[in-house]
Amino acid sequence: MATSVADRIAVGEGADAATARAWLDANGWPGRRDEAWKYTPVDEILASLEVEVVAEELVIGEVVAQEVAVTSADVDDLAGDHGGPRIVFVDGRHAPHLSTSHPLGDGAWCGARGDGDAAEPVEVVRYDGFQALNHLAAHEGAVVEIHAGIEVDLPIHIVHLAVPTASRLAQPRTTIRLGDAARATVIETYTGLPGATFVNASTTIALGEGAHLDHHRIQTESAEGIHVGHTRTNSGADSQLRSTSVMLGAAIARHALDLTLRGEHAHANLEGLYLPRGYQRHDNVLTVDHAASHGTTVQLFKGVIGDEARGSFGGHVIVRPDTVGTSADQTNRNLLLARTAQADTRPWLEIFADDVRCTHGATVGRLDDDALFYLRSRGIPRTEARAMLITAFADEIIDHLTPASLRGHVHDAVRRQTEDDT
Amino acid sequence: MLHIQGLTASIAGTTILRGLDLDIAPGEVHAVMGPNGAGKSTLSNVLTGREGYEVGGTVTYDGNDLLAMSPEERAVRGIFLAFQYPVEIPGVGNMYFLRTALNAVRHERGEDPLDAMTFLRVAKEQMAALDIDPAFLSRSVNSGFSGGEKKRNEVLQMTMLEPRLAILDETDSGLDIDALRVVADGVSRLRSPDRSMLIITHYPRLLDLVRPDRVHVLSAGRIIRSGDHTLADELEVDGYASTVAAAAS
Ligand SMILES: Nc1ncnc2c1ncn2[C@@H]1O[C@H](COP(=O)(O)OP(=O)(O)OP(=O)(O)O)[C@@H](O)[C@H]1O
Ligand SMILES: [Mg+2]
Repeated sequence: MATSVADRIAVGEGADAATARAWLDANGWPGRRDEAWKYTPVDEILASLEVEVVAEELVIGEVVAQEVAVTSADVDDLAGDHGGPRIVFVDGRHAPHLSTSHPLGDGAWCGARGDGDAAEPVEVVRYDGFQALNHLAAHEGAVVEIHAGIEVDLPIHIVHLAVPTASRLAQPRTTIRLGDAARATVIETYTGLPGATFVNASTTIALGEGAHLDHHRIQTESAEGIHVGHTRTNSGADSQLRSTSVMLGAAIARHALDLTLRGEHAHANLEGLYLPRGYQRHDNVLTVDHAASHGTTVQLFKGVIGDEARGSFGGHVIVRPDTVGTSADQTNRNLLLARTAQADTRPWLEIFADDVRCTHGATVGRLDDDALFYLRSRGIPRTEARAMLITAFADEIIDHLTPASLRGHVHDAVRRQTEDDT
Repeated sequence: MLHIQGLTASIAGTTILRGLDLDIAPGEVHAVMGPNGAGKSTLSNVLTGREGYEVGGTVTYDGNDLLAMSPEERAVRGIFLAFQYPVEIPGVGNMYFLRTALNAVRHERGEDPLDAMTFLRVAKEQMAALDIDPAFLSRSVNSGFSGGEKKRNEVLQMTMLEPRLAILDETDSGLDIDALRVVADGVSRLRSPDRSMLIITHYPRLLDLVRPDRVHVLSAGRIIRSGDHTLADELEVDGYASTVAAAAS
């Protein structure tokens, strides 16, 4: 059972695939007893993976891009054009005809690469069956490579587009590497055509000493889809990471962000926004591992949860022994739009050092009736007034997206998602 | 234009308005005074459609059933409430808020929406008249405004939206002397033959400047006495006790 999917996909040839396979055979899938999967409906995901996805043989390599008529205009609509290179993948396969390139200058490269030296080597720390399934597969991965000292101004946009097809499993893999003192902005958009899609995504980020990365991950896949995503980041000394995750799509979406501060004085700002509606379930799982001294991390995740939807945030902070001067802040705020909506928040602090400053705060609230009445009393219709208040709540995160075109794109998507509810 | 008959309102099992009658003709200014807790703010809330009250009686506005309308419907048809306690709305820009409100009202009147530039010009003119720093436009609605600044912001909104029935709930409370003058001037400028006002106040000062046609005393959910503008001065001297006692006997 545990490996039946694994047996049916085209397997990669590198060492990663062998490592992943061995791990999966030994450990299998996560279950409810796994702390990090507590709020993820793993059973439903696996049922979909086994029963629906593998209804037909999955053969990577001869998929979709040609069969499905996706146009550049579709990509513009779904992901936006943010002024820099845009590398598009359809169901994990590079789609050159949809991609646009911009010269980035010497020492900077982005594009698609096959297995082998493209990816960061697999780390089986806090590993799970879904990461293994991704790493097991043959890939055309997205790669961003910025060499030491190089600063790239143009935002690099990687678009992973999922389409509902017979062989529905899309396993995009992305690698982002910044050398020492390198600087870049990378946007990862996970989007898709309407219908039942299944995306199992893996991203690996490595930041050299003093590197500076703005990383935005926007997920707007089909509301019928399933999205399991994992982002693993290793931060070097004095590096700065500003990461924003926006989750709008999929019936079941999970994103795990696993950050290890490897060098001293590394800083990370991890922000997120999730807006489940209807029966959507959005699960955010953060792990911040302060493995070196003087690291500072600030987490701010906000949920806007409507209808029968459920949104969850789990924040795991680890402070390793023999480290000093760690500062870790964690905030999770939720806005419930309906009595039937549900928010779960779960801090988990494991602190093995003394000289530490950690804070944690969580709130669950509703729209302010006084504010709603105030706006309506000025002639602003109820739906519009609600949207204004929801947007005001969400803007704290959206305002930090760069460039402005991405801000606008996400703002509109959030607006659409919140406008039609009651 | 406004005809209130036997209006009752209760909330959470407490009856607050107990059969209130009031008629306001076009262009008339009526003042409502009365002790704390009498039901004055409740009256403003019920007239503007605040949810949560159990309401009885009838209110017609221009011949239509006011109580059947949503708050936004009442607003676009010309009813405006200057709140006793204006609400802070962090994250919603004052300018965006005001322009959205104004364009909603203009839409109902069959007028074109104002573009950002025109809106800005008009807003700045009005702000200058009310001695409001234009920087307030780029701040969140009422967020961190002082008490007096909030009240001025209410008058600014009223000026921009040009209501046909303006309800001012203690807009003159908590203002310094200069601010009171600015607000009173603002209100006076809005007096016109086709704009009615209902001014709730504890002080005769504003009424000296805005000369009401009628003054009413609201106590325990009813209007117990009405008179001309001299009633305000009389109450200032005597207090409410004798009026309340006379009404009870
Ligand atoms: N939500 C509520 N639940 C219970 N009682 C309420 C509620 N709102 C108002 N009241 C009560 O109704 C009465 C009238 O309140 P209201 O605010 O209308 O008084 P007011 O005349 O405006 O007083 P003030 O001059 O102090 O502003 C008060 O006794 C108040 O405590
Ligand atoms: Mg009051």
